[in-house]
Amino acid sequence: MSDEKTQTTLMDWPTFGLGCEEKQNFFLPEMRRLTAHHMSACAPYADIIKKFGYDTDNIETLPDIPFLPVRLFKQQRLLSVPDAEVVKTMTSSGTSGQSPSQIFLDKTTSSLQVKVLSRIMTDFIGPKRLPLLVIDCEATVANRKRFSARTAGILGFSMFGRNVTYALDDDMSLNTERVQAFLDKHKDQDILVFGFTYIVWLHFVKALEQSGRTLDVNKGVLIHGGGWKQLADQAISTTEYKDRIANVCGMTRLHNYYGMVEQTGSIFMECEHGHLHASAWSDIVIRDPIDFSPLSVGESGLIELLSVLPHSYPGHALLSEDMGTILGHDDCACGRKGVYFEVKGRLEQAEVRGCSDTYSR
Amino acid sequence: MTPIPDDLKRRQTVLVGDLEQLDTHPVPSWDDARLAFLSDLSRALLAAPGVREFPDVVTFAYWCRKANLQALKDKLSRPERLQMGLGLVFHICPSNVPINAAFSLAFGLLAGNTCVLRLPSASTPTLDLLVETLKTLLNTPEHANLQSALFMLRYERDDDVNAYWMGCADGRIVWGGDETVQRMRAYPAPAHSREVMFTDRYSLCVLKVEAVEGLGDEELNAFCQKLYNDIYLMDQAACSSPQLIAWVGDGERVRKAQDKLWPVFADFADERYLLEPIQSMDKFVEASNNACTNTHIQSVKRQGRSLYRVQLDGLSSDQSACRGYSGTVHEVTLGTLEELTPSVTERYQTLTYFGYGPDEVSNYAKTAHLRGVDRIVPVGQALDMDAIWDGFDVIASLSRIVDVR
Repeated sequence: MSDEKTQTTLMDWPTFGLGCEEKQNFFLPEMRRLTAHHMSACAPYADIIKKFGYDTDNIETLPDIPFLPVRLFKQQRLLSVPDAEVVKTMTSSGTSGQSPSQIFLDKTTSSLQVKVLSRIMTDFIGPKRLPLLVIDCEATVANRKRFSARTAGILGFSMFGRNVTYALDDDMSLNTERVQAFLDKHKDQDILVFGFTYIVWLHFVKALEQSGRTLDVNKGVLIHGGGWKQLADQAISTTEYKDRIANVCGMTRLHNYYGMVEQTGSIFMECEHGHLHASAWSDIVIRDPIDFSPLSVGESGLIELLSVLPHSYPGHALLSEDMGTILGHDDCACGRKGVYFEVKGRLEQAEVRGCSDTYSR
Repeated sequence: MTPIPDDLKRRQTVLVGDLEQLDTHPVPSWDDARLAFLSDLSRALLAAPGVREFPDVVTFAYWCRKANLQALKDKLSRPERLQMGLGLVFHICPSNVPINAAFSLAFGLLAGNTCVLRLPSASTPTLDLLVETLKTLLNTPEHANLQSALFMLRYERDDDVNAYWMGCADGRIVWGGDETVQRMRAYPAPAHSREVMFTDRYSLCVLKVEAVEGLGDEELNAFCQKLYNDIYLMDQAACSSPQLIAWVGDGERVRKAQDKLWPVFADFADERYLLEPIQSMDKFVEASNNACTNTHIQSVKRQGRSLYRVQLDGLSSDQSACRGYSGTVHEVTLGTLEELTPSVTERYQTLTYFGYGPDEVSNYAKTAHLRGVDRIVPVGQALDMDAIWDGFDVIASLSRIVDVR
């Protein structure tokens, strides 16, 4: 009952229409409420908050909200609802050698995620469902019991498309005939293209380059996300990424998004000016990477992601291991209000240490 | 020993030495030529440009200077006895404390053995400096005789290469914690071979409250320096770095002593310790993890930028699993030293003390019949490596006493 009320109120918020000051009236009270909720509903969360000595009675600003390290979801089972209410368990892709994150969703949280994602998408591609080309294979979404980030992303975005077509066969090879047929069918229409940044690169751009073929997707809008690390390893810049996509398929409208499986739904979309934007339902704080004190606009530090969506697990304030910078508030040339920022890559990984690592390195 | 098959040769990089010259004949322990070699190594390392930036190298170089080696020989050798090396000793060197490769080499050579060392696969400035210095030294005419007795290798995880060396070694030294030790033990070894295995260890520091209460400003600073060296110099990755600080005394007095010590100590550490962002994150994750799993934890306090204090209301039987790195101390208040006893397992290695005399602590260890604690040293000496380590005389373990009558 109360949850439904919250949902309705939340959904009244204008997607990118809240200036930072005004937003405090909506966002901060909800974050306080969530903090109290998770304190009472999730014992490990309460343990951490109490033992670290957070003062949850005096949360005046966003940086005052207690935050968890996002990596904790790889090590602890954190949920704020009875097991029976869990309808979906999301898992992160998990860097090699690490156990994946586990995120437990109940109906409320899952429905909020869908609604918020839909509102954000509408802002970028309009309310109409567009024909959707997914740069991935159908096998990725076959196992619906365990949700990986890729499964969640594809299924999440599939809701905003129609005539969903997978560009890749199950062996990840590009099926140009199928894609061509899809393009022929939707000639002269805007189409939505979705894929993970690296998969688009490897199995679409490079596959086309190698085969020497081109496709005509100049009416396409590509929404892509999922980390630049693998591309950065190959020294691929955003400019090169865009250029080479334009070369093989004529597609020039690209929106990168930033987000994590721990806060699915509240994604940060890149606008026409190349800036990532927080919607009304999310926010970010940049923190000093050593002592975690909040930093100002222009200073580079760890990105803390805030979201009002997580009700079933204590993930409303998470310190990520990504570095970034707040570029400004409310004044991006694209007209969207709120905070906008850029991501500068991941925290450099530590050397393996300890007595037991002699041979593993 | 069987010659090294060509395909195995290709899979390893020889950094020091030429394996074609490998000679497994032992020499007497505490051989003068080896002492001279190591003291020249000490001199060469101390003269290396930029060596001051490597406190670990300097520490080793001081340890193996001529006077100290002679003192060690006087203490540990029995000149009336014939003591000989075993032959070939194979070393798996640690990556958490790179300089221990140098100590390992010195122990093996002093025992009278030919030493083949597998260095950690990632290169470190410390080991690069050691390798370069050794290469230069072995090329001098006075030390050319050691060219057949000293080798350093690198290779990726490789069962066949391990099996080869383990299969022909008369002795093996494994620095590597429980998992590596178990894995290395699984390779068949000659029946007569000896082994020296360094497993996972846990170390603690006991502070008598009166002693901290009584510190004047200058003494407090000197004490912080010592404690800092123990905790921070190896990022707490060394087995002998204290993980647990046990305060002994009345609770109220301990709280006051903590309020006196930690702020000064945190400032001291903040001025000297360069904490990398990833270490800060690792500490945060670890502390959060512990806060929700260890019921003994009462609070987690961040003091300054470099120190986490994890306060415990008591010790558990698996206290040794409760570790931290890069400046995370677990703190407990005890009425007496004896309250430590139930949690001290064979895993406990170094006990550093302050406010006690060495006799007091060793008497405690004796009367409490402790299974663990192999080193009892004053605060400030936790990291002092020596030939007596982990409860045994490493040089004696790698040599034979020939009973001559």
